[in-house]
Parts: sequence; structure tokens; C-alpha cells
Amino acid sequence: MANAHLPPAEPEPSLNRVDGRLKVTGAATYSAEYPFDNLAHAVLITSTIAKGRITNINAKPAEAAPGVLAVISHRNTPGVPAYPPLKQPAERAPIGTAFRVFYDELIYFSGQPVAVVVAQTLEQAQQAASLVEIDYQTETHQTDFVANRSKAAIAMNVQRNKTSPFQDYDRGDPDAMPSAEVKLEATYTIPTQHHQPLEPHAIIAVWEADDKLTVYDKNQGVKSAQGNLAQAFKLPRDNVKVNAQFIGGAFGSGIRVWPHTVAAVLAAKQVKRPVKLVLGRELMFTSVGYRPFTEQKLAIGATKTGILTAIMHEGIGQTSAYEEHLERTILATRAMYACLNVSTRYRLLNLDVNTPTWMRGPGDATGMFALESALDELAFALQLDPLELRLRNHADADPERNLPWSAKSLKECYRMGSEQFGWKNRKPEPQSMQTDGMLVGYGMASSLYGFHRHPSKAKAMMQADGSVVVQSATMDIGPGTGTAMTQIAARMLGVSPKKIRFDLGDSSLPDAPGQNGSATIPSVGSAVHDACKALKNKLLILGASMPGSILSSAWPDEIEIKNGRIYPNAESRSSVSYADILKYHKLPQVEMTEESKSGPERDQYSMYSFGCHFVEVHVSPVTGEVRVKRVVTCADVGKIINDKTARSQSIGGVVGGIGMALMEESVMDHRYGRYVTSDFASYHIPVHADIPQIEVFFVDQPDVHVNPIGAKGLGEIAIVGVAAAVANAVFHATGKRVRELPITVDKLV
Amino acid sequence: MTDDKPDDPTPPDDGTFFEQSDRRLFLKQSLAVASLTLSPFPFLKTAEPDSDEAPVGNAEKVSFTLSVNGKKLRLSTDPRTTLLDLLREQLGLTGTKKGCDFGQCGACTVHVDGQRVLACLSFAVMQNGRKITTIEGLAKGDRLHPMQEAFIKHDGFQCGYCTPGQLMSAVSCLREGRANSEADIQEYMSGNLCRCGAYPNIVKAILDVKTGGQNA
Amino acid sequence: MKPFEYVRPSTLQEAIELVATNPKAQFIAGGTNLIDLMKHNIAAPGKLVDINHLPLKKIEKRDGFLRIGALVLNSEVASHKRVLASHPLLVQALNAGASGQLRNMATVGGNLLQRTRCPYFYDRAFPCNKRIPGSGCGALGGINRMHAIFGVPEKPDPRSCIAVHPSDLSVALSALEATVWVQGPHGERQIPMNDFHRLPNNRPEQDTTLANGELITAVEIPDAVFPKHVHYLKVRDRASYAFALVSVAAALDIDQNRIKTVRLAMGGVAHKPWRLFEAEKLLTGQTVSETIFRQAAEVAMQGARAFEHNAYKLKVAPNAIVQALKLAASLS
Repeated sequence: MANAHLPPAEPEPSLNRVDGRLKVTGAATYSAEYPFDNLAHAVLITSTIAKGRITNINAKPAEAAPGVLAVISHRNTPGVPAYPPLKQPAERAPIGTAFRVFYDELIYFSGQPVAVVVAQTLEQAQQAASLVEIDYQTETHQTDFVANRSKAAIAMNVQRNKTSPFQDYDRGDPDAMPSAEVKLEATYTIPTQHHQPLEPHAIIAVWEADDKLTVYDKNQGVKSAQGNLAQAFKLPRDNVKVNAQFIGGAFGSGIRVWPHTVAAVLAAKQVKRPVKLVLGRELMFTSVGYRPFTEQKLAIGATKTGILTAIMHEGIGQTSAYEEHLERTILATRAMYACLNVSTRYRLLNLDVNTPTWMRGPGDATGMFALESALDELAFALQLDPLELRLRNHADADPERNLPWSAKSLKECYRMGSEQFGWKNRKPEPQSMQTDGMLVGYGMASSLYGFHRHPSKAKAMMQADGSVVVQSATMDIGPGTGTAMTQIAARMLGVSPKKIRFDLGDSSLPDAPGQNGSATIPSVGSAVHDACKALKNKLLILGASMPGSILSSAWPDEIEIKNGRIYPNAESRSSVSYADILKYHKLPQVEMTEESKSGPERDQYSMYSFGCHFVEVHVSPVTGEVRVKRVVTCADVGKIINDKTARSQSIGGVVGGIGMALMEESVMDHRYGRYVTSDFASYHIPVHADIPQIEVFFVDQPDVHVNPIGAKGLGEIAIVGVAAAVANAVFHATGKRVRELPITVDKLV
Repeated sequence: MTDDKPDDPTPPDDGTFFEQSDRRLFLKQSLAVASLTLSPFPFLKTAEPDSDEAPVGNAEKVSFTLSVNGKKLRLSTDPRTTLLDLLREQLGLTGTKKGCDFGQCGACTVHVDGQRVLACLSFAVMQNGRKITTIEGLAKGDRLHPMQEAFIKHDGFQCGYCTPGQLMSAVSCLREGRANSEADIQEYMSGNLCRCGAYPNIVKAILDVKTGGQNA
Repeated sequence: MKPFEYVRPSTLQEAIELVATNPKAQFIAGGTNLIDLMKHNIAAPGKLVDINHLPLKKIEKRDGFLRIGALVLNSEVASHKRVLASHPLLVQALNAGASGQLRNMATVGGNLLQRTRCPYFYDRAFPCNKRIPGSGCGALGGINRMHAIFGVPEKPDPRSCIAVHPSDLSVALSALEATVWVQGPHGERQIPMNDFHRLPNNRPEQDTTLANGELITAVEIPDAVFPKHVHYLKVRDRASYAFALVSVAAALDIDQNRIKTVRLAMGGVAHKPWRLFEAEKLLTGQTVSETIFRQAAEVAMQGARAFEHNAYKLKVAPNAIVQALKLAASLS
């Protein structure tokens, strides 16, 4: 592992996206866009109450409406084979039970799917859905986090698992906090926030035979979706095909197989036709998870010179009444700074809501908002520059695991970022900088995200004409997976990217993890590296075995390959092409499949991506409106595979962080346990006018310990810490510390 | 059913190598054209050839004409069908995206008589006699529109779902004379949401086309 | 969406008759609000009368007035050079609303007839007196951050409504004392802008004073007394493409630093565009100064009442009034 090796990126470090043309011409096909002759359209009906039971469903008016093929509910569902037999009377599912679609009459949250209408046309299905009459018996629901906070408890999952990272954690001296020279304590809250990718979740479900299912489904992992559906419908795994070649954003919302997917599969079974189900935007608020409402208490002890002596970080997150969703909220605090004495606590609060899920930078975006805000508060209390405070507490090794970092260039990030931003121009006092009647604020925050690498397979195939096909059941929800993998293959094989095709998003391809946890390039990139390396070696051996081959006497490490032609050494003018080799051996193609995974290095090093963000905001002293004017973001994520797409991903993370900081909030009316923000007019995400140009800098040095390509993940670290940097800038501009996101006008006037 | 001969549906050779996808592109385009002649989409019925110029019909079906990407079509649809659903569900033109269906995201932006509008907030029948241009009609055959080229060059997208709407809007923004500065573009492109956060790159792409003096 | 019959009458008279004689018939122009209401099953016309081709699409200079046809698009007004010169406040307000695409669809008449964006109105799982009279006001005891601070009942009653009117254009038209021309089954009449929209007054289902079958044909705006000192200030949760938390239309006629005439109206604060008559009175004849603007703002805020989540409007609104006046007066 010590020889991280990827040939240089030249000549195309910033290859344009390989699927760019398809995307700009409208030819990229997303889940809802596959044509079928006899396609039927499904519309979900969801509960309007938060807790209780269905007492009656009158589907007759809907069934009689033009074009209607079926109205399916728990009363007439064809059933999910894996669900346990029904109990009479119905019993509430114990915590830890995934939601069961059309299972019984019980209601667990407002927006729960209770029926699906299938019709010939979308218009007919929508109309019929409005005709289904459902009566409920309501029970008292609890959806209000604040009112129920005292009921938060250690997750049952954690109680059962003594090695869970969410166990109460204490390191060092328990007296460090009480005896600290300077103490600071504050509570930070983030509201529920929703992924809201621009493409709504959608599925076309096709039963090819009684025991063969194909779905075109928006998800982030075709293999896990395949496994889940096979299990639910008790089918051999290979009888389920999941196709998701183009995904219109997800940010975590597509990690699971959600109830609407199962509903569409059931509907297709019932009507014996392909069925399309697209979630309306309003259902995107209750159907595919969210970043949970989370309250955090941070207590920090420090010396007067700004050395951290104690940190206590407590987090409470909300979850549903039937499942536990845990996220990393408090974990970053154990590793981020060199502090000897750290305690963390993590609790869950079960409410009558749907289950949250991972959303970009899960847990860490939440936790680092609190930690990095608190650091800023400490810097202000100590009259110390916020960047200086961070430098004084830089962790040179992982203080949690007592291991060396595999690589860490956070100091370099701080240096680059502060220089590019002009941090030295920051006047320390809040409200001390102004321009054109606006209050100016500079803020910064650090970022980190754990390194994830999962076992992955890739198949590399050299074709007779010298073109290459590489395959892996990985995904592209937007970062440009195909482009990066094409580049890795191009560099490994010495073939022009134009002659390489990378296939993904199809469950019949070699095993790969879903796209989440910033794991795709570290995992799948390594597999592509290994498969191409193996393929190259095999081809070189085949080449050397040709009679009179110029390769037969070549030294393997002197061989140069350019544009598919192999030269025995850099000076050589004679060469043999891959195509020549296949032609000689009369082979239509040569292929190699390799699996790539972590080894013992995981126990020898602590592995993280690191970074930092610098933000300038302008705040109107009159209206309290905040506008982000400038952002510089720096990341150390090891080797950058594609500079262009990596920059875009960093920018995207910052944009998400700005949304999180300034506008994103899903607001529920707890009298009804129902969101009042269920569209893009009330759940604001940033628009063009909210986003300035964003400068991105990478350290771009391979981390030689993590994998053969030296690359770590970027997707999450791009957003982690951004909200804190914005909040810190707002404090610097206004002198107002907003600890409850989002930072809206009402909190500043 | 079509008055015009369909354009050659051969996929452009763009030097990319997603051959499978290109075949899909071909298939999709063929379907879009075929739907007008073979009607594989079961709910698209051809109208009587002598149907009146103004849309007529009862609650079930209304007949009307549209020009879509240069092809004149006679159509008969449920009056409830929005222009967006007509394009996506009946004409096979799925490049125009449904992001919210309520005029709050811009993903369904198309040009009607050269002006950018939202296809989700208009009943198809209301567009009788108008010229519709969708993302599929932006390139001239194999040759991408300069804005499409600029989006690729500046990486003005990630997942690609808002992209057709961004592009149609960007082309209009330039035509409307609202692309004279970064701030101008940011304001007049604000009706097109992008959740991946490609905004800065989109702005660069539009500025590039603007300063390049290319015709939009 | 309920099935409907689509008709496209060829004359104004025919259109009006179709709607006047059929309680289930409704006009459709740009459709940018009606279609989303139909998708939500809040509006369910049995007959849709498409008026888009009717000859109401002119912007005309008349004696002492600017006349804008009801079917002129928002973007056409906003990019009209003569309107920009004579009535820049209109252009500012239009460009502050919606998006480029929506402004290319929405008509001037339709803009005035936008219904509230209150979430309780849009989600049929909630009670709403505007949607179902007598069902209650969800916002009153619920989430009311966006809601009204003026014209709200002192004591909530079963018919209360605290929703706000969402149009930016209406606020500018209110300040400019426009007149709405309407034609109905019984002929033509003119409604002063300030009387066009209603306060809820126990009938929140009724947004305007239009009678059944009446169609807006034009708005007329008195000639340019405010070609220069105007400003439309919109405070919102993001930089663009968002409804107003509070907006202010300010128009001043200043002669030698003295305010000859002034018009002020606010958006996002009431069930209708909210004219600030008392503040106008106070300012008239005064010398331009921040102090007098501040006094006017205080006067304007008299009678404002906040609910659980919108008390910030009591601070933002007067600040916005002062700021809009300062910017209009080029005082900074």
C-alpha cells in the first residue's frame, strides 16, 4: 500500500464530463423517462394525520373514474412476501422495523403512503386519487422536538451494541472542565432539512415474469436496491434488475429503498403492466428522509492562551417512532482538535414522523456547525484570532484513536485559504467592517470527514479495436463518476479517454457500493485501477509472447504506453498496439475483473479528509438580510482525479452549506404533525442570486496509505463546516451569535 | 400526422464514447418522431386532418396544433394535460424536466414563440398554434448551441437534471439583454434552481457566450 | 385535477357571458396561479374560458394616463421603454416578482388576481377559511411567520384570515393610484386600486371586489408625477425568486428638497396592498430628512399587530419604509 501509484494526469487533468453531451442535449435518460407501450401511471395517496388508524377507505368513486386500473391499499394489496403475517388487532411495529407498505391500518406519520391509484394516464390517476375517501381515527401524536426533548434516550441499537461509537464517551480527566481557566457553554440547533434534489424520486416497475422484476429507480445504489427488492419480494437476486444510469441529484435521499418504490412494484404486480410512479414535490418532504432536527450542547474549557483543555459535546437527534437513525453528530469532536479531555453523549428522540436519513455530510455537517461555532465563540472570548485558535489546537495525530494520520495537510489548507481570502484584513471586533451601508463579516471554519472505502469490483475489457470498456455497478448522482473512472482507466492503460467507455448504474455489473459517504472514488476508483492494471499486465504478457515482439526483452518498469501503443522504453520509436496484440492472438477481447478493498492499513492509520472554508457576508443593518459575497474553500482529499469536476463538487458543497446556514428549514405545524413548508416556494434553497463566485483550492497530494490511487472523498467535506463559517461571519458582521439555523431576517433585526 | 419530414435522427458524433447511451439517444429520438406516426404512446390520438384552426373539444379530448422543434403537429389531448406532460409523456421529449410541477424550480423551461416559459404551468391546448422549442431542439443537428458548448466547458452542471431548463433560460437571458454582468445574470437566472450548486459555473458559461459574441 | 371543458371564445362579450352564466366557469389567462390551484384541487372549474387571444394586449398613452391592457405580460411592461421612463416604480416592482419565465407568462390582470401563498390555503389537510369558509384559520394559532400585521382582527373569530396578498405589482399600482377597468355582464366600470382588493372582513374567500363574470380589461395609471424619486424595496428570505416578507413601494415628488407629493404602499403585511395614508399625510410638505422618514414609518406602523412568529415584521417594516424612502429620495 505504500506505493500509491497513478500515472500523471496529463494531458487531460480536467477532462470534460464524458456524459456532458447527453446532459446538455436532454438525451440523458432519468428513471421516469423510459418509454413503455402499455405504461400505467400511479399516484400515491398519503395520510393527512400523524398518528392513528384508518377506519374506512371508500375507493368506489375513484375506481369508477375514467381510466382507473386499480386502487390499492392495505385492504387489497397483493402483499410483500417478506412481511410477517398480520396480527389482529393490528399492533404497532417495534422500534427497529422498517416501514411496511400497505401493511395494516396503522398510521405512523403524516404523509405516510396509505393507497396508490393506478390509471391509464397521469391526469386520470391524479384525478382519481382526489376521489378516494379515507376516514381516520386519530390518536394523540408527538412531533414537537422541543416539547418532547426530555424523552430523548440512548438508542436501543446502542444499548445492544457495546462497541457502538455512539456509546457515552469520556477520555482524560473528568475534572478538566470544572477547573478550566475559561469556560464556555452554548446550545446549537439545526432544524429539519430536506435533500430536495431537483429530480423527484421516481420509479418505473416492470414485472417481466411472475418471478422477474426490473425497476428503473432513482437510488444511490443499484446493488443494495437489488438486494432489498429481492429480499422483500422473495426473488432470487439475479431475477431483480435495477437500472439507474442517470440520477438527478440525491444527496443521501436515494440510499435506501423507500416505501414508494415498493408501492410501485406492488402496483405493477396488481395491474400486470409497467407502472410509473413519480413523487410530487410535496411528497419529497415525507417520503425519502431528511436531515434530522438536532439539538447540541457544547461546553468548552480552555486556557487563557487558547489551548483546549476540555470539550463536552451532547447531541440529541430526532427519529421516527419505528426506526432509529443515528448519525455522526458528536463524533468529529473526538478527532478534530488536540484536546486531552473529551466527553460525548448522543441521544435519540422518537417522534411521530418519518425516519430521517443521511443528508450530505451526515452528522458531521450538523456537529461541526456546533463545534466550529463554539470555537469561534471561544476565540472571541479570548480575543484571539479564530484561525490562530485552530492552529494552536491542531491535532498532529488522531487524539481519539492515538494513531498517526494517513495524511493531513490541514495547516496547508489554512495557509492557502487565509492567503487567498485575505484573512489578515479582518478587523477583530464585530461590527467593525462596513461597506456601502452594509455590515461586513469574515468567518471561517474547519472541516473534516472520515475516509470510507468499501470492497468494490471492476471489470476492464480491451476490445479488438483497441477501445476499452470498464464496468462497475457504481453510480453517478452528479459528481462525475464516469468521467473520473474513465480518467483512471486512461492513465492506467495509456489509452485516450475517448476510446474508453465506463458503464455504471446497472445491477448486473460487477459489485460496487452505493454512492454515499464520499466513498466512490476511494473504493471504485481503486477497483478500476486494479482491474486496469491487471488487464495491462495480461496484455503485456500476451504482447511479449508474440514472436519477435519488441516487448519480449523490455523491462516492465520502463515500458511506456501512449494512445494505446506500447513502447519498450521512453526512447523507443517502435511500438506495438493493444489492437495488434489481440489481433495476433485472434482474441475478440481480453478482460480482467478485480476486487479491491482495504487491508491492515486501516488499523495502522487514522484516515480523514480535511479542509476549511473562509466566508465574507454582507448584512443589511436595516432589514437583517444576509448575503454571502465571497467564499474560499480548501480541501485536502489526497490526489484529485479530475480537477474540473472536483471543483464543481466543492462549489456544490459550499452552496449546500449556504442554504443550510441561511434559509433551509422544514417547518412543521405540530398541532397537525404536518409540514407547512412542502414546496420550493416555502422550503428555500439558494438561487443564482444567493451564490457568488466560489474559489476552490486543493492540496492535491496523494495519500499513499489509503488506497492505490491516493484519493480520498470530497463530496461530504465540501459542505461540512460551511454553515459554521457563515454563522461566524454573521457574528463578525453584526455581533449577533445565531445558534439556531437558519440565520433568517427575524433572528437578526 | 407530421407535416414536415422529420430531421435525420442520426445521433451526432461528438467524440464522446458512451456508445450505448448514444444508441439510447437514437432510440429516444426515433420514438419521439415515431410517436407522431405510429403512436406507440397509446394516449396520443391523431386529430382529423380537417380540424379547425382553433382548438375544439369536449371535456375528454381537445384538438389543436403545435409546432415542436420545427415540426408541426396536430394533437388531441385531455385538456388537463400540461405542456410539460404532453412533451414528456406523449411526445417522448423527456429532455424537458419536471422538478416541481408548480412553477417553483424552472426545470421545465421551454421557449414558446422564442420566449422562455414554464411548461408545467400551461395547459398544452392553450399553446395552440405556437412554436415550442425544447432542449432537444436547441442544437442545430450535430452542432451544439454555443450555450451547450459553454456549459460543457465550464462544467455548468452536475447531476444534469436542471440543466435543460438552465440552458433554455440562459439562451433567453442573453436574448433578453439580461446577461450584461455577473449580477444581472444571477438575478435573471434565479428562476432556475440547481441543487447540486452549479450556479457559479453556469454564470461563467453564460458570460463566456456573451463575451464570445456568439449568437444565442 | 377535475376534468373541465376548454373553450376559447372569440370576443370579450362572449367570454364574459360564458363565465357570468355558469357558476362553474372560470377565466384563464397566464395560468401561473390558477393551474397550480387546479393541480391542488383548490380551484376546480368545470369550464375553462381561455381569454389569451382577446384584444387586451396594448400599452397605450392616453390623456393623462398610461393604460395597460389586462393581457399584457408582466415582462412586456417591465421591458417597455416608455413605461420605464414614466413609471419606473412599476418596472422595479415587476422585476422583483417571480422569475423571468413566470413574468413571460403572467398577465397584468392575472397578477392582480393572484391568490395568497399561505400554506394553510394550499394544503387541503389544514383548515382554511379562505378555502372552506368556516373551517377555521390554520395560520392563526399555527405557523404565521409570513402573515399579516395590518387589517387583522383584534379578536379572532371563526371566519378570520391572516393571509397576505402576494403580488408585488399590486403594491406599486396601489401606490401609483391606478384604476382597474373591468367589464362584466352589466357593462364596464372602474375600480380604484385601493378598493380592488379586500380585507378579509369575515369573507376571506373573496379576495377582490370583482363581481361574478367581471373581467379585468386594463389598468390605468395617472401620468408620471413620479418619474424619478421612486423605490421598490423587497425584503425576502433569499436574494431572488421569493415572496416578500415585507415590501415597500415609495414614490416621491420632491421640489427643492421639499416633498410635494408622496405615495407609500406595503406588501407582505396585509390581505391587500397596504397604502400608508397617514404616513403620506405626515410627509407631505416636509423637508427630506431621515428623521421625518422615521417619524412617517412610526405613524405607518400604528395599528399593526403581530402573531407568534411574525413580530419581526414590526421591526423590519418601519426600517424598510425608511430605507425605501431614503433610496427613493437618493438620501443615503
